[in-house]
This record gives sequence, structure tokens and C-alpha cells, in this order.
Amino acid sequence: MKRPGPLLTLLAGLLFGLFILTLNVTTGTKTVSSPYKAESPAVSASPTPATTSPSARPSASPSPSGTVAAEGVYTGRTDDDSSAVAVSLRGGRAIAYFCDGHNIESWLKGEVKDDGSLSLTGAHGAKLTAAPKGSKQLRGTADLGGGHYTFTIDKAKKPSGIYRANSQVAGAKIVGGWIVLPGGRQVGIVTRDGAPSAAPTIDPRTGVTTVDGHRLTAHPVTP
Amino acid sequence: MSVDPNAATQSFPPRPPAHRAPSPARYLVPALVAAAVAVGLGVYGKTHEPAGTAFNLAGFSSTGAVKSWLASTAFFFALIQLVSAFMVYGRLPGPRWSAKLHRWSGRIAFLVAVPVAVHCLYALGYQTYSTRVMWHSVLGCFFFGAFSAKMLLLRSERLPGWLLPFVGGLVFSVLTLIWLTSALWFFRTFGVTT
Repeated sequence: MKRPGPLLTLLAGLLFGLFILTLNVTTGTKTVSSPYKAESPAVSASPTPATTSPSARPSASPSPSGTVAAEGVYTGRTDDDSSAVAVSLRGGRAIAYFCDGHNIESWLKGEVKDDGSLSLTGAHGAKLTAAPKGSKQLRGTADLGGGHYTFTIDKAKKPSGIYRANSQVAGAKIVGGWIVLPGGRQVGIVTRDGAPSAAPTIDPRTGVTTVDGHRLTAHPVTP
Repeated sequence: MSVDPNAATQSFPPRPPAHRAPSPARYLVPALVAAAVAVGLGVYGKTHEPAGTAFNLAGFSSTGAVKSWLASTAFFFALIQLVSAFMVYGRLPGPRWSAKLHRWSGRIAFLVAVPVAVHCLYALGYQTYSTRVMWHSVLGCFFFGAFSAKMLLLRSERLPGWLLPFVGGLVFSVLTLIWLTSALWFFRTFGVTT
């Protein structure tokens, strides 16, 4: 005689799992989007001026057949392999982080134009322009820290992406930024009261890292 | 769900060896189902874009803590599994209801582990960026395959006496490793928080 007990157990587990999955799928987008906004640097503050300006350098703006880049995060290195670049797109907004892992870094933000190109700005006159190349790449340039960089970056999956941590350790203001590249490699900078230096690695799953003996948590950044 | 207590205890202790050559389907079906479950979960975790709900609201730590406590609950019931299995097989003195204890502690452990697995697969996916994470991903998928095999093997009678204890022990060991690579790591990293 065959006992139904074990089968019922398996079935119950399967149904229970599917039930939770359905809950996740139906409520997931709502719960995910709001906290990200709260933790990422405020993008809403500056409505980008002059979306009509044709004076922006034309080299980066032409997007083949006007494709709009898919939402998500793009990561990669500059063509000269000196720095890492990551761009996160969502809801027509973009945020980018540029980091050489030593002393050059920049947070940039802006909007995605109708033709799919990006023109982002950051502190100290930093500029980054990019346009989709195919459906899974962004190609562009960055002018910041006195340098001119070109890059082609690829769409990436979590835990690849941009992470940021803000904290106060022993009276010093700590700001950390990380780009986690596919394959798990990381490039990051920690700034203590405005002085940048190479960052310790974070655990990409939890965002946990230790700076000067204090545990910090870096959060994924999306626009 | 209804379980007939008499029927279950009947074949729980090892039976005398089979009189006839067993049909290979009895092993093949559980093995194939186990492989399908494990590979299926892994493929889903690998191809599905992780939703990242781990980084939820006031911090992932609450989600991580919930999962860690659920996993620890599952592990606790798994320890009961181990003890009650020895009782069922008469290696430890146990009450008459030890078989029932074994069945129900197993069900609870499994059902408690399911939401943890769903969260892992849905929010984090199959990852290999560190040794701990790699083993956790592999073993997590393997566990549900092995558990399915164990459940299906229970339905067969006249199995070799060592088979169920072996598969059961495998399921228990894998769950232990999964717990060590996740909940224990979480508690050591973040402290025992809720």
C-alpha cells in the first residue's frame, strides 16, 4: 500500500512556496521601489535644465535608431581600464557612479532623454554622457577630475551595481561608494571628511563592510 | 491533511530484504525527481533576475534576520528529526509516538524552510561570488532535491535497510551545511538580532 503522507507533504510545500512567490511578485515592486528612493542620493532636487540644448557634444548623443536603454544597472570599466563606471536607470532617471578606486570618484545624475541618451552631471563640473549601444550596452564619455574617459559598459545583474554608504565614525563623516562588477570584483572609495582613499570590500549580498573598525552598511543605489 | 498513523508505522523500521529483485523504477523515479527539482531550482535562481527584496525597507537586516530565525527553526526541528529517527530505528529509547514525532517535526522543518528558499531564489538568486555563497546556492538546490527523493522513497516498500537512513542523513547534513553558511554566518556578522 502506498502512503499518501510524504506526497502530501511535498505538495503542501510546493503550494506554500508558490503562494509566497505570488505574494512576492504581486507586492514586490511596491515594497522595493520606495526604500531605494529614500536611500539613494536625492535626484529630484534639480530638474535638469535645457533638455533642448543641441549644444551638448554630439559625439555621444546619437543613439542608433533611437533605442532606449533597458532599465537596470550597467557596469564596466573605462576603455583605458583605469576606472570603473556604473549607471543605473529607472523611470526615466539615471544615476551614475564613476570611481578609480583610489582618489577619483563622482556621483552623477540626470534624466534619460527621449532618444535614449543620457547627459548626467555631478559635483565640480563632472559630466557623463552615454547612449545605448544595442539593447544591453551603454557607450559614452565622462569628463571629471581633469580627465576624459570613454567607456562601454554592459547590463549587469545583481549583486553587480552601485552601492553607497553614509555614516559618522569617530566624528568623521564617512561616505563610501562601490561598484560591484560582474564576477564579484569591486572598485570603491571611502571619503573621510572629504579625503578619499581606497575602500574595503563590501559583502554584496548584505552591503556590510568595516571602515576603521566600524561596521557600515552600503545600500544599492537606484535613481 | 489526514495521515493514517497505523499505516505509516508499518514500514518505517527497516524491513527484511526484498524477496525479489526490486524494480529499478523505485530508485530511478525518486532520483530523477530529485535531480529535476535541484536543477530546476538552480536554473530558476540563475536565470531569474534577482528582485533584491533583501534590501527591503528599514534595511535588509530584518529580512535577513527573519530568514535566519526561520532557518534556525528548521534546523531545530531537523535535530528532532535526527533524534526521533534513532528512536524509530530503536537505537535510542523513545516513546511510542516517536514515529509521529519524526513525521511531524519533518513536515514543520520542511514547511518552515520553504519561505526561506523562496526568498533566497526570488530575491537573491543563484550566486557564486564567494565560497560561502557558492556552497549555499549549490546545497540549497540540492537539499530540496534530496528531500523530494526522501519523500518519494518513503512511499516504496522493501527498500534496502540502509537506504532511508542514508538519504535522511544526507538531507540532515545538507541542511546543517546550509544553516552554517547562512544563518550562523548572519548571526556572527550582525549579532543575534531579530
